[in-house]
Amino acid sequence: MAQLVAIDSKNHLNLKIDDSKIELHGKTLHLVPAVLSEFTNMVVQYPLVITKSADSGQFVFAAMLGFEAGENLFWRDEQWQGLYLPLQIRRQPFFVSNTENSNNKGDYVVYFDSDSPTISTEDGQALFDEQGNESDYFQQAKSCLAQLLRGEADNSRLIAHLQKMELLQVMKMEITFANQQTATLNGLYTIDQEKLASLSAENISILHKEELLQTVYTLITSLGQMHQLIDLKNKKLGY
Amino acid sequence: MSKLTKTVVVVGGGIAGWLTAGRLAAKHQSHKKNGLKVTLIESANIPAVGVGEGTWPTMRSTLRALGISETDFIRECDASFKQGAKFAKWCNGKEDDFYYHPLVLPQGFGKTDMAAHWLARQARSKAGQEQVSSFSDEVCYQEALCERGLAPKTIRTAEFADIANYAYHLDSGKFAIFLQKHCQEKLGITHIIDDVIAVNSITTEQGEKGDISSVTTQNNGEIAGDLFVDCTGFSSLLLGKHYGVPFKSCSDVLFIDTALAVQVPYDSDDADIASHTISTGQDAGWIWDIGLQHRRGVGYVYSSKHSTEAEARAVLANYVGDKFSSLKVRKIPIVSGHREKLWHRNCVAIGLSAGFLEPLEASALVMVELAGQMLSEQLPQSREIMDVVAKRFNEIALYRWQKIIDFLKLHYILSERKEPFWTDNREDDTIPQSLQELMALWQYRAPADHDFTSNNEVFPAASYQYVLYGMGFKSDYRHTPYVLDDIDFAQKQFMQNKKFIDTALSSLPSNRELLNKINKFGFNRI
Repeated sequence: MAQLVAIDSKNHLNLKIDDSKIELHGKTLHLVPAVLSEFTNMVVQYPLVITKSADSGQFVFAAMLGFEAGENLFWRDEQWQGLYLPLQIRRQPFFVSNTENSNNKGDYVVYFDSDSPTISTEDGQALFDEQGNESDYFQQAKSCLAQLLRGEADNSRLIAHLQKMELLQVMKMEITFANQQTATLNGLYTIDQEKLASLSAENISILHKEELLQTVYTLITSLGQMHQLIDLKNKKLGY
Repeated sequence: MSKLTKTVVVVGGGIAGWLTAGRLAAKHQSHKKNGLKVTLIESANIPAVGVGEGTWPTMRSTLRALGISETDFIRECDASFKQGAKFAKWCNGKEDDFYYHPLVLPQGFGKTDMAAHWLARQARSKAGQEQVSSFSDEVCYQEALCERGLAPKTIRTAEFADIANYAYHLDSGKFAIFLQKHCQEKLGITHIIDDVIAVNSITTEQGEKGDISSVTTQNNGEIAGDLFVDCTGFSSLLLGKHYGVPFKSCSDVLFIDTALAVQVPYDSDDADIASHTISTGQDAGWIWDIGLQHRRGVGYVYSSKHSTEAEARAVLANYVGDKFSSLKVRKIPIVSGHREKLWHRNCVAIGLSAGFLEPLEASALVMVELAGQMLSEQLPQSREIMDVVAKRFNEIALYRWQKIIDFLKLHYILSERKEPFWTDNREDDTIPQSLQELMALWQYRAPADHDFTSNNEVFPAASYQYVLYGMGFKSDYRHTPYVLDDIDFAQKQFMQNKKFIDTALSSLPSNRELLNKINKFGFNRI
C-alpha cells in the first residue's frame, strides 16, 4: 500500500527521486491500468483487457502482463523488458488528487509515495532547485500525471458507451501451457464482437464522432498479443 | 372454440398484486398490442398489510424475470442481504444455544451422507477424541460468513450473481411502491385506483355462482375480464367472500396467532447489519430480527393461549432494550392456514387471500412468487382448459402449503424447552401425520432427496438436515455402519469446507460495506 505524502517545496527541498528504479513498481503486476491515449503504444506487445476495480466494482482498462497475481512476464533480469513502459508505472512515485473541501475547485495536490524504492536524498532527480522552484524533472512528472487524469476521463467516457450499447462481455479463457499446466482467466471482460457487428448505424456514428470507434477495434486486436504472452510464459517454464 | 383468455384482472395492489401482475405482464408481453391485457385494481383506502421482510433466493430470479435492476431494488427498497437464518434458544433456551439454516447446500451433499459422518464425529467428540463444531458449521461455510456479518458477494460480482447463495431482507412498504412504479412504467399494466364494491358472476344451470364476468368499482364502473386474481389480502374478497371457499385453519399445528412488531433504528450510520435473519426462541413463541440498511425490523410472534399481550410486550421490550419505550408497537393478528382450494372457476387467489402462516422461514413472499410464476407459465389460453389448469394448480399449491406447515412444525417438535408453549408443541396430536412418518424414517437415516419427490418441493432435504441436526436430533446408524465406509471422502469434504471458510473470510466485505458500495457505485450487469 502506498504511503502518500503531499509535496511542498519547504519540506521536500532535498527530496530526490532515483528514476532508474521506477520500473521496480511494475515488477509484480500482472495487470496494469491503462488509459486510452496509450493504447496504441501498448498493443505493440500487451493484450488489453477490461477488469473491475476491487474498490468500486467499476470497469477499468488494463494491460495484461501475466496470468496470475504477482506474475509480470515482461520482467526479467531485474528489468522491464517491454518496449513501452505504461503511464501507471512511469508516473511513480507520484500521485495526484483533487483537493476535497477546497475553495478553489479543480485544484490538484501532488503526493509522493514515501514507501517507493525510488525515494532518496542523495542520488537522483531533485524536485526543486535551491530557491524552491520546480525542476524540469518535476514538471515532466506532473505532465505525466495530467495525461493520466485526462486519460481517466476518456476511459470513463468509453466505458459508459460500451455499457450503454451493451458491448461488453465476460472473457472466458482457459489456457494450457507447454507443461500441461492450465490457467483459467477470471474476472476479465472484453468487447462482444457479435454485438459490435450488429451495432446500429446511429451508435457506430456516436462512437466515431467521439473518436472512440478505433479504440474499440484496438481493444479487440490487442487480444492477439495473448499468444505472445503465452509464449513468454512457456519460455519462463523452460519450453 | 371457447372464450380466450385475453384479459386478466388483478384485484389488490399490495406486493402480491404487483408481483403477480408483473409476472403475467412480463411473460405475456402486455406492453405489445397482441399481448395479454393485465389490469390491476388497487384501492386507495385499504392499506397494504406489508407481510414479510424476509425473502428466499427465488426473489433474485423473480426480480430478473420482471426486468428489474438489482442495484435499483437494493437502493430503493432499503434492502440488505440474507444468507439464511440463525435459530437461537430453540433447543434449550440457554445463551450458547443456536444453529443455522444457511442457504448453501451442505458440502458433499448428495455424494455421501455427511450427516452420518458428522454424527459419528460428534460421538467421538463427546468421548474427547476430536473437536467438532455444529453440523451447519462443519458442512457449510455460510455460517462463518453470517457470524462475522460478511456479505455474500463483492462489488465486483455481477448483479444477481453470487459467491455464496443469498436472498434479501427488504422494506415491504417500499418494495410495494417500487414494484408498482416498475410494473406501470415498463410492463404495460393498466392501473386503476378504485374500490371494488361488487363481484359479478353468472349463475349456472344448477343455480350456483359461475364464472366472474366483472367486478364493479366505485368510480370506474364494471371492469370485465376472463381471469380474476384475488390479491385482496386477508379479506379474500373474491375467493373467500364471493365464492365462499372455506378457510382451512392449521392453528392446531402451529399455535402462533399474534405478532407485536417494532422498527428499531440503528445506533449509528455505520452499525453492523446482520446478513441473516435472527430468530430467537422465547417463552411463548419467538422473536424475528431482520437488519435492513436503515433500521431493523423486530417482532415477537406468540401464542395468545400461552401468553398475555402484556407478557409479550415485556418479552419484546427485554429483547429490544432501552430504545423500546420510544418505539411504536404494531399488533398484527395471525390466522394460520389457507383456503381449501386456491383456484375456483375463473378466480385464483394469491397472497394473504390464499393463506398465511407464521413468518418462520419467510414463506409468505416465496409462496406469492411461486404462485405467480406458476400462473404465468401455465396461464390457460382458453376457458375450455381452465378447469384442468385450475385442478393442477390446486394440487400443487395445496401440496406446498402442507409441506411448509410440516417444515415449520419440525422446528418446534425437537425442542427441549420446558415452557407450556413448547411442551404443547410436542404433543403427538399436534404433529401432522405426514411429518410423523418422515420423522420415523429419519430415526435411521438422514433426510434425503428421495423423501421429497415432487417437482414442486419448497424445502429441499438439505433444509430438513440443517434443522434436524441443528436441533440435536440423532439418526441411529448402528444397523448400517457401512454408510461410514467412505470416511476418507467425507473427511475431504469437511476439509474443503474449512478451506472455503478461509477463502471467503479473506475476500468478502462486510454486509454494511458492500451495501454502501452498492449505493455509491452499483453492480454491473455482467
